Amino acid sequence: MSSERGGLAESVYEVFARKTRGEPLRHIGYIDAPGDELARVYAWKTYDEENWFEMCVVPRGAVIPVNRADGPWAANRPGGKEGGR
Amino acid sequence: MSQRAEDELKQKIRKGYILESPEEMTPGYRKAIIVQLTVQADTELMSAPAYWLAARHAPSTNTQVSAHAIIQDELAHANIAYRLLEDMGVSKEHLVYGREPNEFKHPYGFDQPLDNWAELVVANGFFDRAGICLLGDVHRNTSYGPLKRALIKVDMEETFHLRHGEVWMRRLARAGGAATELLQRCVDWMFPMTIEWFGLPDDLKRHSGQLDYKLKGLTNDELRQLWMSSTVPLCESLGLSVPAHYDAAAEEYVLDYPFPCEYDPEEKRWLFEDGEISWSAVFERWKGRGPMNERYVESVRRSRGAVSSWLN
Repeated sequence: MSSERGGLAESVYEVFARKTRGEPLRHIGYIDAPGDELARVYAWKTYDEENWFEMCVVPRGAVIPVNRADGPWAANRPGGKEGGR
Repeated sequence: MSQRAEDELKQKIRKGYILESPEEMTPGYRKAIIVQLTVQADTELMSAPAYWLAARHAPSTNTQVSAHAIIQDELAHANIAYRLLEDMGVSKEHLVYGREPNEFKHPYGFDQPLDNWAELVVANGFFDRAGICLLGDVHRNTSYGPLKRALIKVDMEETFHLRHGEVWMRRLARAGGAATELLQRCVDWMFPMTIEWFGLPDDLKRHSGQLDYKLKGLTNDELRQLWMSSTVPLCESLGLSVPAHYDAAAEEYVLDYPFPCEYDPEEKRWLFEDGEISWSAVFERWKGRGPMNERYVESVRRSRGAVSSWLN
């Protein structure tokens, strides 16, 4: 879902990170950003509680749920509610 | 949805059920968690301008950088809570920009000016500790999975804020003279301010869904005791006097002043001499908001639209 903020359309990005080598990448949070570049900046500045070994952001609209029909990614289900948040 | 659906959900939650999406919420659950998250988000948001104005009084560049790191954390915490609300269909845009300043749900303590460095560090030592008591309890007990996970980061950072407050309170207490007197003056108004923050005593508390839906685990009085159990010994160890003591027979902390009582925001002084007042008088004062309410809200809204104009 994207929304207007001060004339700027923002959308949701999921934030994933791992603390150390060998650790699984886990979902640590989410941010709203008007584009991929700012999403990288916002995620890095917002989730600065650890010295992450690796961090990445994924647009919420790109996560395709496999077995559930509810939750934040439900709209992306093929044939589900109108896709692409 | 029916009362039966509400009761069924409460039953499941009592057995340890964790909700993972807003679609699983009943109207009662949804309403209760929206209230809880709005208070949480507004409190984090309003702490930022309060701390920011106080950070101007930092005694050095290094200490100002620490203060600004805390402010940045608070803004991130606010953003995380507003984002959770947005997933429930509540507009962050409206919450931040669409309300009157007096419609924000933060505690009265964050309507007060923090006029010097001592007040800032006591705010870290008292207010952020209250935040840890409240949110740590939510983290341990909440039945909403996304909130439980979001609070890992928040708890970690609030602990850093508290340490900042404690280290500085110790430093000012050791300094003696004017610094220690100033510290005591902060404690005098900010201790009862935090006590009041925890809200209605349990014997007056109207029934709320927050405990039934396991949105938190401890009652207001239990949280108030938890806060005092670390704050009172800290202050005593620093030679500061606080209007509360441990009653060994009752095995709890007891306040040494009429509670609740009236507050004079201009003088930053609690009117202990006027005696106890009713909670409806307290709610009236909270509703009227404090002296910095409008300025703080204006301060977080000021640069709205600036980012888009730079990008265009």
